[in-house]
Amino acid sequence: MEYDENGVSIVSNDFKKEIFEEAKKDFRYEEYVRGCLNCGVCTGGCPPHRFFDFSPRMVLQNCKSNDPALVWGMMDEYVWACFQCFTCAMICPFLNNPGGVIAILREISVRRGFESAKKVLKPYSRVLLKLTAYGNQLSPDMIQPDFFPDWGPHIGYASEDLPLKRKAIPMPTLQVTNLAWDVAPEAMKELYTIFEEAGVFKIIEVVDPSLYEIIQDIVDDVRSE
Amino acid sequence: MAIEIRNRLGLADVKSDFRHIAGRKIENIHNELLELEAKGELKVIHITDEHKPIEAETLFGWKKKIPTTKLWHHKSCGQCGNIPGYPVSLLWFMNKFGTEYVDERNQTSCTAWNYHGSATSNPVGLAAVAVRNWHRSYELGLFPLIHCATSFGDYKEMRNLLVENKELRDEVRRIMHKIGRDLVIPEEIVHYSEWVHVMRFEIAKLRKYDLSNIITTVHPACHCYKMIPEDCIYDKDIYAGKRTAVSTGVALALGAQVADYSTWYDCCGFGFRHILTEREASRSFVMDRKIRPMVREANSDVCITQDTGCTTTLDKNQWIGKAMGYTEQVPVMADVMFAALVCGADVYKIVQLQWHTTDWRPLCEKIGIDWKKSEEEYNAYLEKLRAGEKPENLYEYA
Repeated sequence: MEYDENGVSIVSNDFKKEIFEEAKKDFRYEEYVRGCLNCGVCTGGCPPHRFFDFSPRMVLQNCKSNDPALVWGMMDEYVWACFQCFTCAMICPFLNNPGGVIAILREISVRRGFESAKKVLKPYSRVLLKLTAYGNQLSPDMIQPDFFPDWGPHIGYASEDLPLKRKAIPMPTLQVTNLAWDVAPEAMKELYTIFEEAGVFKIIEVVDPSLYEIIQDIVDDVRSE
Repeated sequence: MAIEIRNRLGLADVKSDFRHIAGRKIENIHNELLELEAKGELKVIHITDEHKPIEAETLFGWKKKIPTTKLWHHKSCGQCGNIPGYPVSLLWFMNKFGTEYVDERNQTSCTAWNYHGSATSNPVGLAAVAVRNWHRSYELGLFPLIHCATSFGDYKEMRNLLVENKELRDEVRRIMHKIGRDLVIPEEIVHYSEWVHVMRFEIAKLRKYDLSNIITTVHPACHCYKMIPEDCIYDKDIYAGKRTAVSTGVALALGAQVADYSTWYDCCGFGFRHILTEREASRSFVMDRKIRPMVREANSDVCITQDTGCTTTLDKNQWIGKAMGYTEQVPVMADVMFAALVCGADVYKIVQLQWHTTDWRPLCEKIGIDWKKSEEEYNAYLEKLRAGEKPENLYEYA
């Protein structure tokens, strides 16, 4: 893949148009992109705008321009800066939802397996595995000093004698270490069916084929139990 | 300085009869939901007298019924993995009040943290997971109480999308039939902090400590009040109805001071993806945009949150600030944990503050809580468990 001076991947105009049309076909698009006064209140209140080259006003303006090239220009790193806090949606006088547009564009990026999405999501695979294979996304045994050195020395507390400390939490559902809560196998199996039918497993296969294989092995094991 | 703080403190207490709605024209989705039920398109999990609901007002003055009993606890990934004191404190209160509830394993994550972080799902997947979990509470004859702010925001959004889109309803119904379930939608999507809010005066009756010298700063969760904002509780007696009342309400009811700070509306820096894979952004945000303003402008003793992600982000990312010469620190806990703490819940066994990173001991000492005694008892309890004794649980679970 070749990139221009702004780090945006170079593709044909037809492909840019195809991507923009795909975004506009999403049933949420018209609800999220309404009239834009260009007032900038969304960007003024946007938390990531203070730390990244990211502006929800530009997201809306690029969509309203109807120029596929401008929308394509956001598809690589730009869309991944958004915090998805929806401050923009709450304060927009015209009820636009730039954060919602970002979600649509990210979905396309992942569904299409763009390299930028693969790169951004590579360190995310541990969480993705936990969620899709076991039904919740964070577990006490993930909080290890090696992974979270920036959280300070006390973080070691969570990794010492963890099974005993979890047992001391007076909620039986939480007395596990490898899941946020002890998800019942029947709930996991229902989740797998939902993921299959909704195309979620397929998305993961596109964005991370190796991870997909690992997940499928776990799914097969749980289903056969 | 004292005058400045006093002025800031006044804001949470400002009362007003004027409701500013910023010209928004939003239809109340509930009417359409009931019409779809009447047509047989879906089933509604109604809030009945059995749930002993208490009414609150939302952004536009619409009434929202908050069920106070017969509840199904819907868990939060981050809460259960990281901040166990948050659900434990909630159940501790429910036991005190004789609330009927079920806390069980037959539930999955809402999967929305993953969606907002990685986009590896879609509206059909999100809506189907939501309906699956709603249906589980429905078949038990209970009403879902959502613990996580992102689940709360996502479920409000999914409810709206399901009500407004027949194609989505048809697709989700088809998937539900495959897993032996049906399309059900709760009459209201209710967050645990809303339960705490409507119960705040009952909670305040259990207060054991004087909080008049405690300055709190509140950080409300974005996905609670920015996603589908019309469905969030506002109170004309709290911030004059201009900001969400939840969490601030219980702090005021308990007699604590609630101070304002300039970045109240900012998020915590969690970012869904950023907290996991781009943490320097979260770290900077926490210190520059939240913790430092809370301490420097409001002289805060404690930051009160209402969500998993915010609590984790704001608590865990203070230590690293020292590398930049930032010395400001403030303990962070959810509203229900703070309430339990001042109502006499055990610091270790119930509020579970031992998992938190930022030092909370000075707060306990300022309130007058003997955390050292609690620590000793907890350590002795751990030894008993190590020796094979059964854990003391808040409920029996088969």
